[in-house]
Amino acid sequence: MAVSQHSVKGSRREKISIGHKRTQRQQRIFFFSVLILFIFSIVMIDIDGSAIAKGMERLPVILASLTQISFEHFLEMLAGMVTTVVIAFLAVLFSFVISFFLAFLVANNTTPNRYLGLGLRYAVMIIRSVPTPIWVLIAVASIGFGPMAGIIGLMFPTSSFLIKAFSAQIEEEGTEVIEAIRSVGGTWIHVVFKGLLPTILTGMIATLGVRFEIDVHESVVLGMVGAGGIGYLLQSYIQYYDFANLTLGILIVFVTMFLLELSLNRIRALLRTQSS
Amino acid sequence: MSTILKIINLTKRYNDETLALEGINLEVSRGEFISVIGPSGAGKSTLLRCINRLIEPTSGEVIFLGQHVEKANKAELRKIRAQIGMIFQHYNLVPRLSVLENVLHGRLGYMSSIKGLFSLYSEEEKEEAIEWLRKVGLEKEIFKRADELSGGQKQRVGICRAMMQKPKLILADEPIASLDPKSAEVVMETIYHNCIELGIACLVNLHQVEIAKKYSTRIIGIKSGKLVFDDTPDKLTDEMSRFIYEGKESEMYQHQ
Ligand SMILES: Nc1ncnc2c1ncn2[C@@H]1O[C@H](COP(=O)(O)OP(=O)(O)OP(=O)(O)O)[C@@H](O)[C@H]1O
Ligand SMILES: [Mg+2]
Repeated sequence: MAVSQHSVKGSRREKISIGHKRTQRQQRIFFFSVLILFIFSIVMIDIDGSAIAKGMERLPVILASLTQISFEHFLEMLAGMVTTVVIAFLAVLFSFVISFFLAFLVANNTTPNRYLGLGLRYAVMIIRSVPTPIWVLIAVASIGFGPMAGIIGLMFPTSSFLIKAFSAQIEEEGTEVIEAIRSVGGTWIHVVFKGLLPTILTGMIATLGVRFEIDVHESVVLGMVGAGGIGYLLQSYIQYYDFANLTLGILIVFVTMFLLELSLNRIRALLRTQSS
Repeated sequence: MSTILKIINLTKRYNDETLALEGINLEVSRGEFISVIGPSGAGKSTLLRCINRLIEPTSGEVIFLGQHVEKANKAELRKIRAQIGMIFQHYNLVPRLSVLENVLHGRLGYMSSIKGLFSLYSEEEKEEAIEWLRKVGLEKEIFKRADELSGGQKQRVGICRAMMQKPKLILADEPIASLDPKSAEVVMETIYHNCIELGIACLVNLHQVEIAKKYSTRIIGIKSGKLVFDDTPDKLTDEMSRFIYEGKESEMYQHQ
């Protein structure tokens, strides 16, 4: 009865607005800003329609040439892929050792000194704002081409990523357990290892998995700027239009990534069942 | 009666404006069981945390067993804290660790960073921890994870952790505020009887006047950071309670 009355009235009345006014306004502003930026960008980079069309014409040829495949360099490429993964692995491992302690110095609830924490936080922000290839180029410039440059170059962004993620995880634990350990007369080490670590360890491992995946991706690309590994080989095949070898290289990267993703998902699932 | 704790003119100011404690004077003797009552925001938690310096006092003196807590350096403060047990409203256990390990944390104040890091508790300490868990009725829970327990059980683990410190003083900040009436009674009984039996002085923050009257040898009333009542429970008249909780009378009966 009440419902039918409502619908009769509703048909005559002005439509009821159900949205949140301020949110709608913000969305509109956002939409128009993007539109303006889009138009500006198009004008800015001066997109050449004919070049795209020409490129499109060439695409079938390139795709066709990618159907050729050569196994001539298979072992070499496999070794390159292993190098690429090892670079990422070592970068994550070394970064973990550094970030673990720094994260506890940065986190609000565990920092022994607020200004130290704040200073480190800004340092991390600055490191993060420099793109990874630049770190690698700096490493290459100082220690020469090769995997070591890749590892060191990757350690900067990886460490800053881990410090940020870990310190957020630490801060999520609040102050309760920290108070308890301090109240019994425990040291900072006790607070960190006995009070907090048991709770946040699984989260930290999951974060390491995520970062490892990112770093393998990065490591492939970084090979092209001198960090060694499969990226270096891919780069040289592209340079000499060596499509037969390039196809195999791409295939190897693809399969590795796929397997990596699968196994990391398994580990994540395992961690989840263990932590609940 | 020997003095365990002496507080002289203790003041705490947060952020240069909130005056949470103002000129508190207090003397606590061995075996005393003191309830601290007062409305929300009166400064009860601040008072307890200034004693073991989880919060730094702004001015005044805190003397524990003849030693100035407010002047203690890091190492001295650890030794002082080791002898002061603390029980929390939210139990503050490490959720992923076993009940037994949580109880053994009570010994960390007596261990170096390295010894504690590798959990090098002595066999006697482990036996004692198990004995305490038996005593509070948790013998079946010893190897369970702390987060599997009920609230009342968690608080009893918290009590065992404090007892493992062999404390001279226990500070309990609203130990029953998150518990149902039945668990609350078990927890209060456990704290009260063990403290009386072992001659441990105890300061308990409580919201509920009735509970305070039931368990204390002495009651302290705090109102807006000032100590406004300090006497035996029978001297706490209804009029006095109403004065302490002025404007916040409803809190007197909370949870019970
Ligand atoms: N970290 C802090 N920073 C600023 N002000 C604080 C802080 N902690 C407490 N206060 C303020 O100090 C006063 C006393 O707080 P306190 O927690 O000691 O009260 P309480 O008696 O324990 O209250 P409750 O019964 O709600 O636990 C309050 O006005 C509170 O807002
Ligand atoms: Mg409080």
